[in-house]
Amino acid sequence: MTTVRVHGVTRSFGRTRALDGVDLEAGRGVTGLLGPNGAGKTTLLRTIATVLAPDRGTVTLLGRDPTRPEDRTRIRERLGYLPQDAGFHRGFTVFEFVDYVAILKEMTDRRPRHDEVRRVIALTGLASVSAKRIRALSGGMRRRVGLAQALLGDPDLLVLDEPTVGLDPEQRLRFREMISQAGEGRTVVMSSHQTEDITALCNRIAVIHHGRARFAGTPTELTAQAEGRVWTDTRRSPAALAAWRTGDGAFRNVGDPPGGAELIPPTLEDAYLLLVGEPEPAVTRS
Amino acid sequence: MTWHLDPEAIHRYARGAAPPALAASAEAHLMGCAACRDGLTSFVDTRRAETIWHEVVDRVDAPRRSGPERLLTRLGVGEATARLVAATPTLRGPWLLAVAGVLALAASAAQVDERFLRMFLVIAPLGPLAGVAVAFAGGLDPTREIGLAAPYSGLRLLLIRTAAVLAVTVPIVAAAGFALPGANWPAGWLLPTAGLTCAALALTARVPPVVAVGVVASAWVLVTAPAAVAGHLDVAFGAGAQLCWLAVAVLGGAWLALTRHTVTTKLGRSA
Repeated sequence: MTTVRVHGVTRSFGRTRALDGVDLEAGRGVTGLLGPNGAGKTTLLRTIATVLAPDRGTVTLLGRDPTRPEDRTRIRERLGYLPQDAGFHRGFTVFEFVDYVAILKEMTDRRPRHDEVRRVIALTGLASVSAKRIRALSGGMRRRVGLAQALLGDPDLLVLDEPTVGLDPEQRLRFREMISQAGEGRTVVMSSHQTEDITALCNRIAVIHHGRARFAGTPTELTAQAEGRVWTDTRRSPAALAAWRTGDGAFRNVGDPPGGAELIPPTLEDAYLLLVGEPEPAVTRS
Repeated sequence: MTWHLDPEAIHRYARGAAPPALAASAEAHLMGCAACRDGLTSFVDTRRAETIWHEVVDRVDAPRRSGPERLLTRLGVGEATARLVAATPTLRGPWLLAVAGVLALAASAAQVDERFLRMFLVIAPLGPLAGVAVAFAGGLDPTREIGLAAPYSGLRLLLIRTAAVLAVTVPIVAAAGFALPGANWPAGWLLPTAGLTCAALALTARVPPVVAVGVVASAWVLVTAPAAVAGHLDVAFGAGAQLCWLAVAVLGGAWLALTRHTVTTKLGRSA
């Protein structure tokens, strides 16, 4: 079942067009938005999180139309959102902050609300720091607090903007595990410019570049697009769109291979580089 | 163990109907007697036990509420609303100190020159108004983005925060006003403040709160500052003007009620 349906969405900020006719569909499982910085991923996620209205195009979330006030409220009751720069009231403890967001999610009865706050705090491994002030926590712990508030109320749709940014490798693995669990039985739409995270977590991918969806499909389908376009050589090939020296001293070249090139199996990162490395029209309109 | 509780005593204890002496004695016995504990199990109302356990966990586990939150709940404010008020950016110490400092300076200047006394009346309503604007300024509310995606009513949040800001800033302005020398209008700014606040809130149907307050505050200064400098305080603070401000407050409130869905939109909830 399709939970998120975005069709022809355009959104501009002043003269900059952040989204330019984007189409996207997402159902149960983890859908990843991949793209370079400034590609429009955050604008698209803010639109899906009902924070931003598109200038043109239609958005349907959980079968409802977010432009209608009644529908919007119903969507928000079933939505969890972790913004890219999630801010916190630093004087609040972890419990107080998550409790504050639970109130904003209309959980008004104190006891069930506190039970729910304890549940998400335990789920994100924060029980031991529940009474600590947020200003005393590390960046990774704060990111977990952000995820905890997004999981309040067991939402059907979870929108996560760069959830693993700024985390060390161990924390990233922990986060992947949590997001993977969250994706079981609900729809998660997350953005990242880390292909490893997307490969590890997502059953569907959309590559966003210059405000457009350049690809939508499974990771395998995206990787297949680079089939026959990755080769290894003793030198950096002039024909390559991108090339780098690997650990064994050989160069991994991505692009259009010359005749007789030693082709190797592509990765998702190779396919991504090929997609975003090709020339695109300018996004700033006069 | 040489004796055991009789079934009737266990039953009364389980129902919570045992007198205090019997309950204490039964409790002490149950601690050391597995047979009587087994006998107790069949009488225990599991739902009641779960409720009590939840209450215990909640009391022990929930953090102690902050001073302002405890004060608000003592004053009859709901604990959820008290938490929302505690998160209002404008109610933090530095902001309140800044408002108090500006007003103290204005009041000191008024001691020296009568023109400053008149200018105080122009400045007075701007403190509470600025507080309302800052309560919704994106840069100062760290959880704004999360709040925008939450189902909580934008209008309700607007009113709660505005009421909290007014409840704190109006007494500060009032204290400064009553400290003025020979002031003929110590409370003359109150209705203008109410009118300006309601006008700003009414404008939130069209523009974000920060812009609405900016428009209203600019209009207020442009109209009243020249009149105050020229000594024509009646224009903004006379009896006729006070009635006008009352009317603005009422009309602004009515307009806000009529446009409540659009207000939500202009708080940023625009999708």
